[in-house]
Amino acid sequence: MSDPHQHPHHRLGVRCRIGSLQIEVDLELSAPWTLLFGPSGSGKSSLLRAACGLSDCEGVTFARHLHEDNWLTLQDDSDHMPAHLRDLRWAPQHASLFPHLTVRENIEFGTRCAHSSTAQNQARIADAMRLFRLDNLVSRRPRDLSGGERQRVNLARAFAAPGCKLMLLDEPFNGIDHALRDELLPEMRAWLRDHNIPALSVTHDVEEALQLQADVVLLRDGKVEAQGPASEVLQKDRVRLMSSLSQLR
Amino acid sequence: MDSSAIALTLRLACVTTVCLLLIATPLAGWIASGHGLARRIVQAAVALPLVLPPTVLGFYLLVGLGPLTSFGRALIRIIGHPLAFTFTGLVIGSILFSLPFAVQPLVAGFSGIDLELVETARVLGASPWTVFWRVVAPLSRAAFLASVVLAFTHTVGEFGVVLMLGGDIPGVTRTLSIAIYDQVQEANYAAANRAALWLVALSFLALLALYARSSTRREGSLV
Repeated sequence: MSDPHQHPHHRLGVRCRIGSLQIEVDLELSAPWTLLFGPSGSGKSSLLRAACGLSDCEGVTFARHLHEDNWLTLQDDSDHMPAHLRDLRWAPQHASLFPHLTVRENIEFGTRCAHSSTAQNQARIADAMRLFRLDNLVSRRPRDLSGGERQRVNLARAFAAPGCKLMLLDEPFNGIDHALRDELLPEMRAWLRDHNIPALSVTHDVEEALQLQADVVLLRDGKVEAQGPASEVLQKDRVRLMSSLSQLR
Repeated sequence: MDSSAIALTLRLACVTTVCLLLIATPLAGWIASGHGLARRIVQAAVALPLVLPPTVLGFYLLVGLGPLTSFGRALIRIIGHPLAFTFTGLVIGSILFSLPFAVQPLVAGFSGIDLELVETARVLGASPWTVFWRVVAPLSRAAFLASVVLAFTHTVGEFGVVLMLGGDIPGVTRTLSIAIYDQVQEANYAAANRAALWLVALSFLALLALYARSSTRREGSLV
């Protein structure tokens, strides 16, 4: 299980049917980085969408810890805070970049919606562009980018937007090669730690999960099968990965 | 040359187009943003002028806005005079008659926008107003152009509703299309030809602006 000494920062409960999948999940997010792990169709992305308030599901409860015993309800049976007021930042799976904006304008998008100062925003944008190695692509349009480049802009856009209380990353390394992923992972984790922003991400990549040393929520058919440190929850997958690596050698 | 008819036609088309943009944009946004019977009923009602004879719409407006109905009587009490045979009445008739030409391209344009772009913008902190101005509107530029051009040209070429609701009052409700009709009735073909050429030129230029933009963007369709 997640570290019992850490106080949960968010609680997410989702009970609903999406197509043929019945989702019944109650999550307490207390680790700095929580990872939703599971095969395709297990409901991972649906949980992120529910947290964002983008789901049509009725049975969603989502709350943020403020201090002591005070919680801010983002969604329950009677309340539904609009997505733009939830202080979440989201890098969706398909890197849906705004096609009419350049790379820089895409990354600036969230800062323009916020009330923070221009100097802070500029520093944040520069920081995000450096973090995701985008300095050479600033004036390009999304249609001129490769899949990996689009994904990095997608991540930078979420990271650059100020006021974030929870970072939601849906398969953040989709299309990014493993060497770059291995470079980016620790830097992203350090960045989020420095800014005191917890993350909830989605993956079905065992290597990514093990590298992150995150709190892993193992999902199967819309239910939580296990939750805890990656090395424990993904023990079987880890052994399988190691053996396939040794066979390769 | 009936310059007052040209001026009146342009004034009517401009006022109608601006009003239509203000009405059609939220209406098209609502129609495009979901499913359900209510939306389909509204969509069908908006499209009615496409298939109805203009005289039918003109007749109902003439009766509905006049002293024969309680709504018309209330309206007359409020504004002090009937709306029929006035420029305002003409604008109302034109708005209703050209509504589908303004709404349909916008519905098509809004429906073509990837919903995930809108959702991403919202989660990044954009209010619905910001999402409209920074994502939806720029991505629907072609649809807005089509909407404006079609609403404008359709109003310029309107005849049946104008005649029923506005009559034929020079300088007030006598538009170019009515003027042509009068001139033909008077066997003044030369004047009718000049007025008709004005209509052809106006409509052609507006459509050319639309198609020229479509071809530079390598888009074949109107929207």
